[in-house]
Amino acid sequence: MDRDVILTMRGIEIQFPGVKALDGVDFTLRRGEVHALLGENGAGKSTLIKCLTGVNKMDAGKIELEGKEIRPTDPKNAMDMGISTVFQEINLCDNLSVAENIFIGRQPMKRGQIDWKEINRRSNELLERFHVHIDVTRPLSQFSTAIQQMVSIARAVDVDAKVLILDEPTSSLDSDEVKKLFDVMRDLKAQGIGIIFITHFLDQVFEMSDRMTVLRNGKLVGIYNANEITKLELVSSMIGKDLDQIFDLKRAAQKEDAAMMLEANHIGVPGKVEDISFGQKKGELLGFAGLLGSGRTETAEMIFGVTKMANGDLKIAGIPVKIGEPMDAINHKIAFCPEDRKRDGIIGDLTIRENIALALQARRGMMKPMSRKEQDELADKYIKLLAIATPDAEKKIKELSGGNQQKVILARWMATDPDLLILDEPTRGIDVGAKAEIQRLMLQMCEEGMSIIFISSELDEIIRCSNRIIVMRDGKKAGELNGENCTQADIMRIIAGEKVGETA
Amino acid sequence: MKSKESIFKNKLTWAVIAELLILAVAGILEPGFFSIEYNQTTGMLYGSLIDIINRSAEITIIAMGMTMVIALGGTDISVGALVAVAGAFALKFLRWDVTLYPTPGDYTVYPFILVIVVPLIICTLMGLFNGVLIGKFKLQPIIATLILMVAGRGIAQIATNGKQFTTGYTPYRFIGQGSLFALPFPIIITIVVCVCVMIFVRKTAFGTFVESVGVNPNASRVTGLKSDRIIMIVYTLTGFLSGIAGLIYSSRISSCDSNNAGVNYEMDAILAVVLGGTSMTGGKFSLTGTIVGSIIIRTITTLVYYFGITSESIMAFKAAIILVVIVIQSEPFGKWMATRNARKQKAGELRG
Amino acid sequence: MAKKKSNKLINFVTNPKYIMVLATIGIFLAIYLFGAILYGDKGFTKLRTFAMLFVDNAYIGISAVGMTMVLITGGIDLSVAAVASLTGMFIAYGTTVLNIHPVICMVFSILVGILLGLGMGALVTYLKIPPFVATLTGMFLARGVCSLISRDSISIDNELIDKMAGWKMYFMTLKNGEWVKIKPVAYINLNVVMFIVMILIGTYILQKTRFGRNVYAIGGNEQSARLMGLPVDKTKMMVYAFNGFCSALAGIAYSLYVKSGWNLALQGGELDVISAAVIGGVLLSGGVGYMVGTFFGVLLKAVIPCLITFNGTLSSWWGKIITGLLVLLFVALQQIVMHGNLFKKKKKTAPATKKE
Repeated sequence: MDRDVILTMRGIEIQFPGVKALDGVDFTLRRGEVHALLGENGAGKSTLIKCLTGVNKMDAGKIELEGKEIRPTDPKNAMDMGISTVFQEINLCDNLSVAENIFIGRQPMKRGQIDWKEINRRSNELLERFHVHIDVTRPLSQFSTAIQQMVSIARAVDVDAKVLILDEPTSSLDSDEVKKLFDVMRDLKAQGIGIIFITHFLDQVFEMSDRMTVLRNGKLVGIYNANEITKLELVSSMIGKDLDQIFDLKRAAQKEDAAMMLEANHIGVPGKVEDISFGQKKGELLGFAGLLGSGRTETAEMIFGVTKMANGDLKIAGIPVKIGEPMDAINHKIAFCPEDRKRDGIIGDLTIRENIALALQARRGMMKPMSRKEQDELADKYIKLLAIATPDAEKKIKELSGGNQQKVILARWMATDPDLLILDEPTRGIDVGAKAEIQRLMLQMCEEGMSIIFISSELDEIIRCSNRIIVMRDGKKAGELNGENCTQADIMRIIAGEKVGETA
Repeated sequence: MKSKESIFKNKLTWAVIAELLILAVAGILEPGFFSIEYNQTTGMLYGSLIDIINRSAEITIIAMGMTMVIALGGTDISVGALVAVAGAFALKFLRWDVTLYPTPGDYTVYPFILVIVVPLIICTLMGLFNGVLIGKFKLQPIIATLILMVAGRGIAQIATNGKQFTTGYTPYRFIGQGSLFALPFPIIITIVVCVCVMIFVRKTAFGTFVESVGVNPNASRVTGLKSDRIIMIVYTLTGFLSGIAGLIYSSRISSCDSNNAGVNYEMDAILAVVLGGTSMTGGKFSLTGTIVGSIIIRTITTLVYYFGITSESIMAFKAAIILVVIVIQSEPFGKWMATRNARKQKAGELRG
Repeated sequence: MAKKKSNKLINFVTNPKYIMVLATIGIFLAIYLFGAILYGDKGFTKLRTFAMLFVDNAYIGISAVGMTMVLITGGIDLSVAAVASLTGMFIAYGTTVLNIHPVICMVFSILVGILLGLGMGALVTYLKIPPFVATLTGMFLARGVCSLISRDSISIDNELIDKMAGWKMYFMTLKNGEWVKIKPVAYINLNVVMFIVMILIGTYILQKTRFGRNVYAIGGNEQSARLMGLPVDKTKMMVYAFNGFCSALAGIAYSLYVKSGWNLALQGGELDVISAAVIGGVLLSGGVGYMVGTFFGVLLKAVIPCLITFNGTLSSWWGKIITGLLVLLFVALQQIVMHGNLFKKKKKTAPATKKE
């Protein structure tokens, strides 16, 4: 028995109605290691974590912590045993102070009363170790996501954690913040804490982790040492498909002589984005790169009327237009798949059919309802066209997987037959197979003459698909590149603020 | 197999079955329960069934609006106060100043059209007030409508100087006490209102829009729906419908009673909606279900009277019914039933 | 050193947590001052008037203590007035008709209150029924049972109750070396003592115990509270039970105040209690609120009818309208605080904290 091992999970099986979520999965974690847990959506990563934190009960298998068998009953119980989790969405209470968030549920007491001084003192100490210097008595809501994430980790670590689970901790951080987080992770590692690291970003996996465990369809695919595997091999083990099939995408041909579709002149909203100008031709795929919060989403929301444009003007097909509400944009044949699918996209309790018909219906107006037959035909058409995996159109959309939900949203907008389609992170949080399908669709629609604005954090997919790329930094347009002959390094240089000659 | 399942999953089916069961009990207890007689002199049909539908008119009308309010994920607790407001203003225009017209009689001070229209406009505006607070200013529905629930009765009292007057004006009394086509007039009003609302909701895309906004207002806006406008329309409509109910109620008693008119109507209307199968969490709704729900409430009330139990204690029975319904509707209960059924099915398969 | 202190003060005042409470206290003082200027000569500023604000509203205040806690968890309880009325009925019927010792009646009422609270809490906590619906059921039940006991008002005829209701603590002043009652006579009674004690207990629970902090955490984000390992279900059950206790206590106070029990007593009282809490700065979406705010909320709500009485010409119904307006004002203030600059987060944090 390896003395360095803190945690072993052996033969874990979990049965959900209709599916085997985990089927004989093994997992080991050593002291002071960062162990990446990888897999497509639905591979069983989160189920494994939920099993470890006692949220899901396992049907078979054994968990040992430092050689002793444990059976966590709930997150609190797991925490008491030394297994702490930082979830993807920050799970703190933003009405409470920073200090209280770290200590709630285990406040130091003095004479039967909560000792607030001690709480604030210890929180200060703890956060200083993470190089975070803030007023800990202020409500958490006043701080940025990065700080909240640090607070979350501080709480997790302070409970004398032996195992720290970080579930997608970087998905809402910018690169500086990610760096800070990685520093903290290295510190913790040095203290001998075992870290389970779940992320979609493969670069980060290779940067941080010592070993990787890959799951697919609830089964263990393999355990690799970080220095013994290439990115490509890792991806292929995650998706179990031929790599060629995924990467065989052809950029739509550049249409030099096409008419202008959209012209934006110095548009902006003070404090968010300022002075953005660009033009887009018919049938062109325009990529928007940049860090989170750099103004990509804000620009898209401005064009679509989700946020009101304060300065500048827009022209569509050469004609000046005013867009104050999403409805106006829809009337100008613009469509928008938002970044936050759950919040701004799906109408969970409505059926796939109703979700698909909704935008078209909204454009037609309330008084001209679509007949049931019309809706059925529309839904059937897109279910077939986009290969949405569902038994029928009457299933509630919330019961679909993330990738299929994304396709329904896409169908909703394709049904309005737009001239300009804005896709904000359409491939985030969906599995690699569905990702490739959505990229393929995008390119096909461009080929057919639709203009697409494509926003993504993943540089390789932006480069692969776009004709032209606009790079954003700090709410401003920082550069414009030609998609055909630019590299990730070019984009990163612009993001980092180095001067690059415009190649477009 | 599939169709059978969907019939029994349909909450409306359960509501109808419940109503039929209650009626059956009533029929057994009182053999004459189902008899309907035609009275030659008044030209009106009489009978317990007619009475039930007649008496449920106010709640049914309000519940039409409440159904959509609840589908939007909200509640409107001001409807009872609006019922009082409508009655108060109608009587105000019938009698104006009681010191000048001290005795009630078959007259009206202002034209009848004002007597009807002004209260309806006031209630509609109050509904709009709720709608603006909730739609534009994003207040929580319960607190936004709490404002008028508190202030509404005050306004009604001030309109009538805190006095309760009666009227003998025949056209006004006809609203709640007259009859048309042998049916009590409130039933006719209810039918007209229900048909109009249903056409408005289901023959346009309004119903779908309401459901969509109720489930996810953010996404609905991004999809091009004007969520705040839809919210405002629904609350305004509910205000208007409460006004109609208020006129019927005040006409029935030929007077206004700012303290007691419409007390607990909000509760009854919500109960009717929930009984009709619309979930309190918003989303899909059924207007037909609500009508059945409203009739169920009235049937039970009638039945309870039959046992000689006082009107105030009916609340205890209503409580028992809501309890059963909300427990059955609740998510954990549904899950529990589902797992139980799954287990049963599995056992059946094994045996088979 | 002095600078540090002033910094602390600025920090305290600008901390969004306290703004609502400060607003309540400010508005109360402003209205009181307004009354003092207008009706000071008629005795508005006399201690008696001030003491009567407490005496006449103590039962609302007692109930508001429990309501505050429920509202902080993000719930609501519409049954409080019905439960208080039921308590009044138990005491009136028990002591006067059945000749049971009043202490037994009171203990029984409190037990019933707690049980009803637990029942509604269970519906909310375990069956995930919206608190509004669950407590509506409780309200119907309590009113229904009340009417089943008696439909008539029963006046209480009991020595001990008379004694309790008659107990008064007078404000004294030193005159010529002797303690005498101040003129006009000002006093507080048992209800006022109960009200103040309950406010103190409530403050202690909310600020100094883990249970109290869990209440805030649940109101802030229930999902998070669960994942942080806090006993969410148990806490919610206890909050509703505590509120049931407060309702019953308010019922006892009310029956001492009016010395009778009636099935229709306190109709609409739940609105008084909720609006007192809202005016006191308790956030209806949960997570924010202080007992001291509720305390001033009760006073603020009480001072309005008092002013109308002093005016003498206004219809008492204006009280309702002004209360409605005050609720509107505070809800508007809440919206500004919540969505305005103070609580505003940078845009990118929004997705991380939204509720599903």
